[in-house]
Amino acid sequence: MIQIRNLKKAFGPKVITRDLNLDVQDGEFLAIIGRSGEGKSVFLKQIIGLIKPDSGSVLIDGQDITKLGRRARQQIFHKCGYVFQFAALLDSLNVLENIGITLFENGRSMDEVTPLVEAKIKSVGLAEDVLDKYPDELSGGMKKRVGLARTLMLNPKILIYDEPTTGLDPITVRLIHELIHKTHVEQKVTSIVISHDIEIFKYATQVAMLHEGKIVYKGPAKTIWECDNPYIYQFIRGLPEGPIKQIGFVKEV
Amino acid sequence: MLTRFVDNLGSGTLGICRRFGSIGVFCIDAIRTLFTTRLKVKKTFYQMSYIGVGSLSIIFLVGSAVGAVLALQIYIGLERYGATQFVGPIVFIAMAREFGPIFASLMVIGRAGSAMTAELGSMRISEQIDALQTLCINPLQYLIVPRILASTIIVPFLSIFCSFFGIFAGYVTSIYVLNINPETYMEAIRSNVELSDITNGIIKAIAFGFILSVIATYKGYTTKGGAKGLGICTTQSVVFANVSVILADYILSSLMFTK
Repeated sequence: MIQIRNLKKAFGPKVITRDLNLDVQDGEFLAIIGRSGEGKSVFLKQIIGLIKPDSGSVLIDGQDITKLGRRARQQIFHKCGYVFQFAALLDSLNVLENIGITLFENGRSMDEVTPLVEAKIKSVGLAEDVLDKYPDELSGGMKKRVGLARTLMLNPKILIYDEPTTGLDPITVRLIHELIHKTHVEQKVTSIVISHDIEIFKYATQVAMLHEGKIVYKGPAKTIWECDNPYIYQFIRGLPEGPIKQIGFVKEV
Repeated sequence: MLTRFVDNLGSGTLGICRRFGSIGVFCIDAIRTLFTTRLKVKKTFYQMSYIGVGSLSIIFLVGSAVGAVLALQIYIGLERYGATQFVGPIVFIAMAREFGPIFASLMVIGRAGSAMTAELGSMRISEQIDALQTLCINPLQYLIVPRILASTIIVPFLSIFCSFFGIFAGYVTSIYVLNINPETYMEAIRSNVELSDITNGIIKAIAFGFILSVIATYKGYTTKGGAKGLGICTTQSVVFANVSVILADYILSSLMFTK
Protein backbone atom coordinates (compact mmCIF):
# COMPACT_ATOMS: atom_id res chain seq x y z
CA MET A 1 0.00 0.00 0.00
CA ILE A 2 1.17 3.51 -0.80
CA GLN A 3 0.26 6.32 1.61
CA ILE A 4 1.21 9.86 0.67
CA ARG A 5 0.86 12.47 3.40
CA ASN A 6 1.19 16.29 3.18
CA LEU A 7 3.65 16.10 0.30
CA LYS A 8 5.22 19.46 -0.54
CA LYS A 9 7.62 20.27 -3.32
CA ALA A 10 8.61 23.58 -4.88
CA PHE A 11 11.25 24.57 -7.41
CA GLY A 12 12.03 28.14 -6.44
CA PRO A 13 8.78 30.10 -6.45
CA LYS A 14 6.93 27.41 -8.46
CA VAL A 15 4.99 25.12 -6.13
CA ILE A 16 4.52 21.63 -7.60
CA THR A 17 2.77 19.75 -4.81
CA ARG A 18 1.22 21.29 -1.71
CA ASP A 19 -0.10 19.23 1.18
CA LEU A 20 -0.86 16.42 -1.22
CA ASN A 21 -2.55 13.35 0.29
CA LEU A 22 -3.29 10.11 -1.54
CA ASP A 23 -3.73 6.42 -0.70
CA VAL A 24 -3.19 3.66 -3.26
CA GLN A 25 -4.34 0.19 -2.22
CA ASP A 26 -2.52 -3.01 -3.21
CA GLY A 27 -3.69 -4.28 -6.58
CA GLU A 28 -5.29 -0.95 -7.48
CA PHE A 29 -5.07 0.42 -11.04
CA LEU A 30 -4.97 4.17 -10.52
CA ALA A 31 -5.08 6.65 -13.37
CA ILE A 32 -3.80 10.12 -12.48
CA ILE A 33 -5.09 12.90 -14.68
CA GLY A 34 -4.42 16.62 -14.74
CA ARG A 35 -3.46 19.44 -17.04
CA SER A 36 -0.08 19.60 -18.72
CA GLY A 37 2.48 21.30 -16.50
CA GLU A 38 0.65 20.41 -13.27
CA GLY A 39 3.71 18.48 -12.03
CA LYS A 40 2.36 14.95 -12.44
CA SER A 41 5.74 13.55 -13.43
CA VAL A 42 7.44 15.32 -10.52
CA PHE A 43 4.77 13.87 -8.24
CA LEU A 44 5.44 10.33 -9.52
CA LYS A 45 9.17 10.79 -9.12
CA GLN A 46 8.60 11.80 -5.50
CA ILE A 47 6.64 8.59 -4.94
CA ILE A 48 9.55 6.47 -6.13
CA GLY A 49 12.27 8.58 -4.49
CA LEU A 50 13.89 10.02 -7.61
CA ILE A 51 12.99 13.50 -6.36
CA LYS A 52 13.12 14.34 -2.67
CA PRO A 53 10.08 16.26 -1.41
CA ASP A 54 10.57 19.42 0.67
CA SER A 55 8.33 17.93 3.35
CA GLY A 56 5.72 15.25 3.89
CA SER A 57 5.99 11.48 3.69
CA VAL A 58 5.60 8.67 1.19
CA LEU A 59 4.97 5.34 2.88
CA ILE A 60 5.34 2.20 0.79
CA ASP A 61 4.22 -0.84 2.79
CA GLY A 62 4.66 1.27 5.94
CA GLN A 63 8.21 2.37 5.11
CA ASP A 64 8.76 6.13 4.68
CA ILE A 65 10.99 6.37 1.62
CA THR A 66 11.67 10.08 2.11
CA LYS A 67 13.78 9.21 5.14
CA LEU A 68 15.80 6.45 3.50
CA GLY A 69 19.47 6.71 2.58
CA ARG A 70 20.71 5.99 -0.93
CA ARG A 71 21.35 2.28 -0.34
CA ALA A 72 18.05 1.63 1.38
CA ARG A 73 16.27 3.52 -1.38
CA GLN A 74 17.65 1.02 -3.89
CA GLN A 75 15.46 -1.60 -2.24
CA ILE A 76 12.45 0.54 -3.10
CA PHE A 77 13.40 0.32 -6.76
CA HIS A 78 13.13 -3.49 -6.46
CA LYS A 79 9.54 -2.98 -5.30
CA CYS A 80 8.57 -0.12 -7.60
CA GLY A 81 9.18 -0.18 -11.32
CA TYR A 82 9.07 3.07 -13.26
CA VAL A 83 8.27 3.28 -16.97
CA PHE A 84 9.51 6.59 -18.32
CA GLN A 85 7.55 8.85 -20.65
CA PHE A 86 9.97 8.37 -23.55
CA ALA A 87 11.20 4.98 -22.31
CA ALA A 88 14.67 6.34 -21.36
CA LEU A 89 16.46 3.45 -23.06
CA LEU A 90 20.24 3.67 -22.97
CA ASP A 91 21.35 4.82 -26.43
CA SER A 92 24.63 2.93 -26.35
CA LEU A 93 23.03 -0.46 -25.65
CA ASN A 94 20.91 -2.65 -27.91
CA VAL A 95 17.48 -3.92 -26.85
CA LEU A 96 18.87 -7.14 -25.35
CA GLU A 97 21.41 -5.23 -23.27
CA ASN A 98 18.83 -2.61 -22.27
CA ILE A 99 16.33 -5.16 -21.01
CA GLY A 100 18.92 -7.37 -19.34
CA ILE A 101 21.05 -4.53 -17.95
CA THR A 102 20.29 -5.25 -14.29
CA LEU A 103 21.18 -8.93 -14.70
CA PHE A 104 24.34 -8.14 -16.68
CA GLU A 105 25.41 -5.67 -14.03
CA ASN A 106 24.93 -8.36 -11.39
CA GLY A 107 27.43 -10.56 -13.20
CA ARG A 108 25.03 -12.85 -15.10
CA SER A 109 26.33 -14.19 -18.41
CA MET A 110 24.84 -13.60 -21.86
CA ASP A 111 23.75 -17.27 -22.01
CA GLU A 112 21.81 -16.91 -18.77
CA VAL A 113 20.24 -13.55 -19.58
CA THR A 114 19.21 -14.08 -23.23
CA PRO A 115 16.37 -16.61 -22.62
CA LEU A 116 14.96 -14.44 -19.81
CA VAL A 117 15.01 -11.38 -22.04
CA GLU A 118 13.44 -13.33 -24.92
CA ALA A 119 10.58 -14.39 -22.66
CA LYS A 120 10.08 -10.83 -21.45
CA ILE A 121 10.13 -9.34 -24.94
CA LYS A 122 7.46 -11.82 -26.03
CA SER A 123 5.33 -10.92 -23.02
CA VAL A 124 5.22 -7.28 -24.17
CA GLY A 125 4.26 -8.33 -27.69
CA LEU A 126 7.52 -7.80 -29.54
CA ALA A 127 9.36 -10.23 -31.80
CA GLU A 128 12.80 -11.56 -30.90
CA ASP A 129 14.39 -9.90 -33.94
CA VAL A 130 14.32 -6.52 -32.18
CA LEU A 131 16.82 -7.73 -29.61
CA ASP A 132 19.88 -6.64 -31.58
CA LYS A 133 18.40 -3.29 -32.60
CA TYR A 134 19.44 0.00 -30.97
CA PRO A 135 16.89 2.46 -29.49
CA ASP A 136 17.18 4.87 -32.41
CA GLU A 137 16.04 2.08 -34.74
CA LEU A 138 12.77 1.55 -32.83
CA SER A 139 9.42 3.30 -33.20
CA GLY A 140 7.85 5.17 -30.26
CA GLY A 141 5.50 2.30 -29.43
CA MET A 142 8.30 -0.27 -29.58
CA LYS A 143 10.46 1.84 -27.28
CA LYS A 144 7.66 1.97 -24.70
CA ARG A 145 7.26 -1.81 -24.86
CA VAL A 146 11.01 -2.30 -24.45
CA GLY A 147 10.93 0.16 -21.53
CA LEU A 148 8.16 -1.86 -19.90
CA ALA A 149 9.99 -5.16 -20.52
CA ARG A 150 13.12 -3.70 -18.92
CA THR A 151 11.15 -2.60 -15.85
CA LEU A 152 9.44 -5.99 -15.58
CA MET A 153 12.81 -7.76 -15.34
CA LEU A 154 12.94 -6.69 -11.68
CA ASN A 155 9.49 -8.22 -11.01
CA PRO A 156 8.22 -5.13 -9.18
CA LYS A 157 5.06 -5.15 -7.03
CA ILE A 158 4.22 -1.60 -8.03
CA LEU A 159 4.39 -0.27 -11.59
CA ILE A 160 4.41 3.45 -12.26
CA TYR A 161 3.88 4.70 -15.81
CA ASP A 162 4.67 8.28 -16.77
CA GLU A 163 2.42 9.18 -19.73
CA PRO A 164 2.94 5.87 -21.54
CA THR A 165 0.90 6.84 -24.59
CA THR A 166 2.23 10.32 -25.30
CA GLY A 167 2.95 10.88 -28.98
CA LEU A 168 1.48 7.58 -30.18
CA ASP A 169 -1.22 6.96 -32.78
CA PRO A 170 -4.70 5.84 -31.55
CA ILE A 171 -4.13 2.19 -32.48
CA THR A 172 -0.82 2.02 -30.64
CA VAL A 173 -2.39 3.88 -27.70
CA ARG A 174 -5.01 1.16 -27.39
CA LEU A 175 -2.37 -1.58 -27.71
CA ILE A 176 -0.24 0.02 -25.00
CA HIS A 177 -3.26 0.42 -22.70
CA GLU A 178 -4.16 -3.22 -23.23
CA LEU A 179 -0.57 -4.22 -22.51
CA ILE A 180 -0.59 -2.19 -19.29
CA HIS A 181 -3.88 -3.82 -18.29
CA LYS A 182 -2.63 -7.30 -19.17
CA THR A 183 0.54 -6.72 -17.14
CA HIS A 184 -1.58 -5.43 -14.25
CA VAL A 185 -3.77 -8.55 -14.25
CA GLU A 186 -1.15 -11.20 -15.00
CA GLN A 187 1.61 -9.87 -12.74
CA LYS A 188 -0.90 -8.91 -9.99
CA VAL A 189 0.79 -5.54 -9.52
CA THR A 190 -0.37 -2.15 -8.29
CA SER A 191 -0.42 0.17 -11.30
CA ILE A 192 -0.24 3.95 -11.29
CA VAL A 193 -0.59 5.58 -14.70
CA ILE A 194 -0.38 9.23 -15.63
CA SER A 195 -2.41 9.80 -18.73
CA HIS A 196 -4.16 12.50 -20.70
CA ASP A 197 -6.01 9.85 -22.60
CA ILE A 198 -9.60 9.26 -21.48
CA GLU A 199 -9.33 5.72 -22.94
CA ILE A 200 -7.46 4.84 -19.74
CA PHE A 201 -10.76 4.94 -17.78
CA LYS A 202 -11.74 1.67 -19.48
CA TYR A 203 -8.85 -0.12 -17.80
CA ALA A 204 -8.29 1.75 -14.52
CA THR A 205 -10.12 0.91 -11.30
CA GLN A 206 -9.62 4.36 -9.74
CA VAL A 207 -9.06 7.86 -11.06
CA ALA A 208 -7.35 10.72 -9.23
CA MET A 209 -7.05 14.26 -10.45
CA LEU A 210 -4.09 16.50 -9.66
CA HIS A 211 -4.82 20.22 -9.77
CA GLU A 212 -2.70 23.06 -8.42
CA GLY A 213 -0.54 20.69 -6.43
CA LYS A 214 -3.36 18.78 -4.72
CA ILE A 215 -5.49 15.74 -5.39
CA VAL A 216 -8.89 17.34 -5.93
CA TYR A 217 -10.70 14.08 -6.65
CA LYS A 218 -10.27 10.36 -6.25
CA GLY A 219 -12.98 7.91 -7.15
CA PRO A 220 -13.90 4.84 -9.17
CA ALA A 221 -13.11 4.87 -12.89
CA LYS A 222 -16.29 3.04 -13.87
CA THR A 223 -18.57 5.91 -12.86
CA ILE A 224 -16.25 8.74 -13.89
CA TRP A 225 -18.63 9.97 -16.63
CA GLU A 226 -21.42 10.33 -14.08
CA CYS A 227 -19.17 12.14 -11.61
CA ASP A 228 -20.37 15.63 -10.65
CA ASN A 229 -17.07 16.85 -9.27
CA PRO A 230 -16.64 20.17 -11.14
CA TYR A 231 -12.93 19.59 -11.87
CA ILE A 232 -13.52 16.12 -13.29
CA TYR A 233 -16.61 17.25 -15.16
CA GLN A 234 -14.73 20.04 -16.89
CA PHE A 235 -11.51 18.11 -17.50
CA ILE A 236 -12.82 14.89 -19.05
CA ARG A 237 -15.17 16.80 -21.33
CA GLY A 238 -12.50 19.33 -22.26
CA LEU A 239 -14.68 22.32 -21.36
CA PRO A 240 -13.04 25.77 -21.39
CA GLU A 241 -15.36 27.08 -18.64
CA GLY A 242 -15.16 25.79 -15.08
CA PRO A 243 -12.96 25.80 -11.99
CA ILE A 244 -9.85 24.88 -13.99
CA LYS A 245 -8.45 28.17 -15.23
CA GLN A 246 -6.63 28.42 -18.54
CA ILE A 247 -3.06 29.61 -18.18
CA GLY A 248 -1.21 31.41 -20.94
CA PHE A 249 -4.23 31.74 -23.26
CA VAL A 250 -6.05 34.91 -24.23
CA LYS A 251 -9.78 34.56 -24.11
CA GLU A 252 -11.41 35.50 -27.42
CA VAL A 253 -14.01 38.30 -27.20
CA MET B 1 22.57 51.21 -4.04
CA LEU B 2 25.17 50.12 -1.50
CA THR B 3 22.70 47.63 -0.03
CA ARG B 4 22.10 46.14 -3.47
CA PHE B 5 25.86 45.88 -4.06
CA VAL B 6 26.38 44.07 -0.74
CA ASP B 7 23.35 41.89 -1.48
CA ASN B 8 24.72 40.90 -4.93
CA LEU B 9 28.18 40.35 -3.52
CA GLY B 10 26.80 38.11 -0.79
CA SER B 11 24.55 36.05 -3.04
CA GLY B 12 27.35 35.74 -5.62
CA THR B 13 29.78 34.50 -2.96
CA LEU B 14 27.21 32.07 -1.61
CA GLY B 15 26.56 30.79 -5.15
CA ILE B 16 30.27 30.14 -5.71
CA CYS B 17 30.59 28.40 -2.33
CA ARG B 18 27.53 26.27 -3.10
CA ARG B 19 28.95 25.28 -6.50
CA PHE B 20 32.36 24.34 -5.10
CA GLY B 21 30.69 22.48 -2.25
CA SER B 22 28.54 20.59 -4.69
CA ILE B 23 31.58 19.58 -6.81
CA GLY B 24 33.37 18.55 -3.62
CA VAL B 25 30.49 16.34 -2.51
CA PHE B 26 30.27 14.82 -6.01
CA CYS B 27 34.01 14.15 -5.97
CA ILE B 28 33.89 12.51 -2.51
CA ASP B 29 30.90 10.39 -3.59
CA ALA B 30 32.80 9.24 -6.69
CA ILE B 31 35.90 8.34 -4.66
CA ARG B 32 33.77 6.52 -2.08
CA THR B 33 32.02 4.62 -4.87
CA LEU B 34 35.39 3.65 -6.36
CA PHE B 35 36.46 2.01 -3.10
CA THR B 36 33.13 0.54 -1.98
CA THR B 37 31.73 -0.94 -5.19
CA ARG B 38 32.99 -3.32 -7.87
CA LEU B 39 34.95 -1.51 -10.56
CA LYS B 40 33.53 -1.69 -14.08
CA VAL B 41 36.81 -2.81 -15.64
CA LYS B 42 35.54 -3.13 -19.22
CA LYS B 43 34.02 0.33 -19.14
CA THR B 44 37.20 1.79 -17.65
CA PHE B 45 39.33 0.26 -20.42
CA TYR B 46 36.87 1.51 -23.02
CA GLN B 47 37.17 5.04 -21.62
CA MET B 48 40.98 4.75 -21.47
CA SER B 49 40.98 3.80 -25.12
CA TYR B 50 38.57 6.60 -26.01
CA ILE B 51 40.50 9.26 -24.11
CA GLY B 52 43.99 7.93 -24.80
CA VAL B 53 44.12 6.38 -28.26
CA GLY B 54 41.64 8.91 -29.62
CA SER B 55 43.73 11.86 -28.40
CA LEU B 56 47.13 10.55 -29.53
CA SER B 57 47.20 12.12 -32.99
CA ILE B 58 46.30 15.57 -31.71
CA ILE B 59 48.83 15.21 -28.88
CA PHE B 60 51.48 14.36 -31.47
CA LEU B 61 50.69 17.45 -33.53
CA VAL B 62 50.49 19.85 -30.58
CA GLY B 63 53.51 18.40 -28.73
CA SER B 64 55.70 18.57 -31.85
CA ALA B 65 54.64 22.12 -32.68
CA VAL B 66 55.23 23.34 -29.11
CA GLY B 67 58.65 21.67 -28.92
CA ALA B 68 59.77 23.12 -32.24
CA VAL B 69 58.55 26.64 -31.38
CA LEU B 70 60.19 26.44 -27.94
CA ALA B 71 63.53 25.52 -29.50
CA LEU B 72 63.30 28.43 -31.95
CA GLN B 73 62.32 31.02 -29.32
CA ILE B 74 64.79 29.86 -26.70
CA TYR B 75 67.57 29.86 -29.29
CA ILE B 76 66.82 33.50 -30.19
CA GLY B 77 66.94 34.49 -26.50
CA LEU B 78 70.06 32.53 -25.60
CA GLU B 79 71.99 33.59 -28.68
CA ARG B 80 72.20 37.13 -27.22
CA TYR B 81 74.17 35.71 -24.27
CA GLY B 82 76.15 33.13 -26.24
CA ALA B 83 74.48 30.29 -24.32
CA THR B 84 72.82 28.39 -27.16
CA GLN B 85 74.12 25.06 -25.76
CA PHE B 86 71.33 25.30 -23.17
CA VAL B 87 68.53 25.08 -25.73
CA GLY B 88 68.32 21.28 -25.23
CA PRO B 89 67.93 21.19 -21.44
CA ILE B 90 65.54 24.14 -21.42
CA VAL B 91 63.28 22.53 -24.04
CA PHE B 92 63.47 19.22 -22.17
CA ILE B 93 62.65 20.71 -18.76
CA ALA B 94 59.91 22.96 -20.15
CA MET B 95 58.25 20.08 -21.96
CA ALA B 96 58.58 17.55 -19.13
CA ARG B 97 57.61 19.88 -16.29
CA GLU B 98 55.09 22.19 -17.92
CA PHE B 99 54.03 21.93 -21.51
CA GLY B 100 53.68 18.15 -21.71
CA PRO B 101 51.20 17.88 -18.81
CA ILE B 102 49.42 21.14 -19.62
CA PHE B 103 48.96 20.64 -23.35
CA ALA B 104 48.00 16.97 -22.95
CA SER B 105 45.34 18.02 -20.42
CA LEU B 106 44.04 20.89 -22.53
CA MET B 107 43.73 18.62 -25.55
CA VAL B 108 41.89 15.98 -23.50
CA ILE B 109 39.53 18.65 -22.13
CA GLY B 110 38.74 19.88 -25.63
CA ARG B 111 38.27 16.46 -27.12
CA ALA B 112 37.21 13.96 -24.45
CA GLY B 113 36.14 16.23 -21.57
CA SER B 114 33.57 18.06 -23.66
CA ALA B 115 32.32 14.72 -25.03
CA MET B 116 31.95 13.36 -21.47
CA THR B 117 29.85 16.37 -20.44
CA ALA B 118 27.73 16.24 -23.59
CA GLU B 119 27.13 12.47 -23.32
CA LEU B 120 26.27 12.50 -19.61
CA GLY B 121 24.20 15.66 -20.01
CA SER B 122 22.22 14.13 -22.82
CA MET B 123 21.65 11.04 -20.66
CA ARG B 124 20.47 13.24 -17.80
CA ILE B 125 18.04 15.20 -19.99
CA SER B 126 16.59 12.06 -21.59
CA GLU B 127 16.13 10.49 -18.10
CA GLN B 128 18.60 7.68 -18.80
CA ILE B 129 20.44 8.39 -15.54
CA ASP B 130 17.15 8.29 -13.61
CA ALA B 131 16.35 5.04 -15.41
CA LEU B 132 19.63 3.51 -14.21
CA GLN B 133 18.69 4.39 -10.64
CA THR B 134 15.26 2.80 -10.96
CA LEU B 135 16.96 -0.35 -12.29
CA CYS B 136 19.04 -0.53 -9.09
CA ILE B 137 22.22 0.48 -10.91
CA ASN B 138 24.43 3.04 -9.21
CA PRO B 139 25.04 5.76 -11.85
CA LEU B 140 28.26 6.83 -10.15
CA GLN B 141 29.61 3.29 -10.38
CA TYR B 142 28.31 2.73 -13.91
CA LEU B 143 29.05 6.10 -15.53
CA ILE B 144 31.26 8.34 -13.44
CA VAL B 145 33.96 6.22 -11.80
CA PRO B 146 35.16 4.57 -15.07
CA ARG B 147 35.55 8.00 -16.69
CA ILE B 148 37.39 9.60 -13.77
CA LEU B 149 39.66 6.60 -13.27
CA ALA B 150 40.41 6.26 -16.99
CA SER B 151 41.28 9.94 -17.30
CA THR B 152 43.47 9.90 -14.17
CA ILE B 153 45.40 6.90 -15.52
CA ILE B 154 45.68 7.89 -19.16
CA VAL B 155 46.47 11.64 -19.01
CA PRO B 156 49.97 10.98 -17.51
CA PHE B 157 50.73 8.69 -20.46
CA LEU B 158 49.50 11.32 -22.90
CA SER B 159 51.65 13.86 -21.06
CA ILE B 160 54.71 11.60 -21.50
CA PHE B 161 53.94 11.26 -25.21
CA CYS B 162 53.39 15.01 -25.56
CA SER B 163 56.71 15.73 -23.80
CA PHE B 164 58.50 13.13 -25.91
CA PHE B 165 57.14 14.51 -29.20
CA GLY B 166 58.00 18.06 -28.08
CA ILE B 167 61.54 17.15 -27.03
CA PHE B 168 62.05 15.23 -30.27
CA ALA B 169 60.73 18.12 -32.37
CA GLY B 170 62.99 20.50 -30.37
CA TYR B 171 65.95 18.23 -31.11
CA VAL B 172 65.18 18.10 -34.83
CA THR B 173 64.72 21.89 -35.01
CA SER B 174 67.90 22.56 -33.05
CA ILE B 175 70.06 20.19 -35.08
CA TYR B 176 68.69 20.65 -38.59
CA VAL B 177 67.36 24.24 -38.52
CA LEU B 178 69.50 26.00 -35.91
CA ASN B 179 72.65 23.97 -36.62
CA ILE B 180 73.45 23.16 -32.99
CA ASN B 181 75.96 20.35 -32.55
CA PRO B 182 73.98 17.19 -31.65
CA GLU B 183 76.60 15.94 -29.18
CA THR B 184 76.69 19.28 -27.36
CA TYR B 185 72.90 19.29 -27.34
CA MET B 186 72.61 15.81 -25.79
CA GLU B 187 75.47 16.36 -23.34
CA ALA B 188 73.80 19.54 -22.05
CA ILE B 189 70.58 17.61 -21.48
CA ARG B 190 72.40 14.81 -19.66
CA SER B 191 74.19 17.15 -17.30
CA ASN B 192 71.30 19.54 -16.55
CA VAL B 193 68.15 17.42 -16.38
CA GLU B 194 67.14 15.56 -13.21
CA LEU B 195 64.78 12.64 -12.77
CA SER B 196 62.50 14.82 -10.61
CA ASP B 197 61.85 17.02 -13.68
CA ILE B 198 60.15 14.03 -15.28
CA THR B 199 58.43 12.58 -12.20
CA ASN B 200 57.00 15.94 -11.11
CA GLY B 201 55.55 16.40 -14.58
CA ILE B 202 53.88 13.00 -14.34
CA ILE B 203 52.49 13.79 -10.87
CA LYS B 204 51.03 17.00 -12.28
CA ALA B 205 49.46 15.10 -15.17
CA ILE B 206 47.80 12.67 -12.74
CA ALA B 207 46.31 15.62 -10.86
CA PHE B 208 45.17 17.28 -14.09
CA GLY B 209 43.57 14.06 -15.37
CA PHE B 210 41.61 13.78 -12.14
CA ILE B 211 40.56 17.43 -12.04
CA LEU B 212 39.41 17.63 -15.65
CA SER B 213 37.39 14.43 -15.46
CA VAL B 214 35.70 15.39 -12.19
CA ILE B 215 34.63 18.72 -13.70
CA ALA B 216 33.54 17.20 -17.03
CA THR B 217 31.50 14.43 -15.39
CA TYR B 218 30.04 16.75 -12.75
CA LYS B 219 28.83 19.25 -15.33
CA GLY B 220 27.29 16.46 -17.42
CA TYR B 221 25.74 14.67 -14.46
CA THR B 222 24.05 17.84 -13.20
CA THR B 223 22.89 19.16 -16.57
CA LYS B 224 19.39 20.62 -16.71
CA GLY B 225 17.40 22.78 -19.06
CA GLY B 226 17.13 20.80 -22.28
CA ALA B 227 19.27 21.34 -25.38
CA LYS B 228 20.14 24.91 -24.42
CA GLY B 229 21.17 23.81 -20.93
CA LEU B 230 23.31 21.04 -22.40
CA GLY B 231 25.12 23.55 -24.62
CA ILE B 232 25.72 25.87 -21.67
CA CYS B 233 26.95 23.03 -19.45
CA THR B 234 29.35 21.75 -22.11
CA THR B 235 30.83 25.23 -22.62
CA GLN B 236 31.08 25.78 -18.86
CA SER B 237 32.72 22.41 -18.45
CA VAL B 238 35.46 23.20 -20.99
CA VAL B 239 36.09 26.70 -19.64
CA PHE B 240 36.01 25.65 -15.99
CA ALA B 241 38.25 22.62 -16.59
CA ASN B 242 40.79 24.70 -18.56
CA VAL B 243 40.96 27.37 -15.85
CA SER B 244 41.12 24.78 -13.05
CA VAL B 245 43.96 22.87 -14.71
CA ILE B 246 45.98 26.06 -15.23
CA LEU B 247 45.36 27.18 -11.63
CA ALA B 248 46.27 23.71 -10.36
CA ASP B 249 49.42 23.89 -12.48
CA TYR B 250 50.47 27.09 -10.74
CA ILE B 251 49.76 25.66 -7.29
CA LEU B 252 51.57 22.38 -8.00
CA SER B 253 54.51 24.18 -9.60
CA SER B 254 54.81 26.41 -6.53
CA LEU B 255 54.82 23.35 -4.28
CA MET B 256 57.16 21.24 -6.39
CA PHE B 257 59.71 23.60 -7.82
CA THR B 258 59.96 26.51 -5.36
CA LYS B 259 62.82 26.08 -2.91
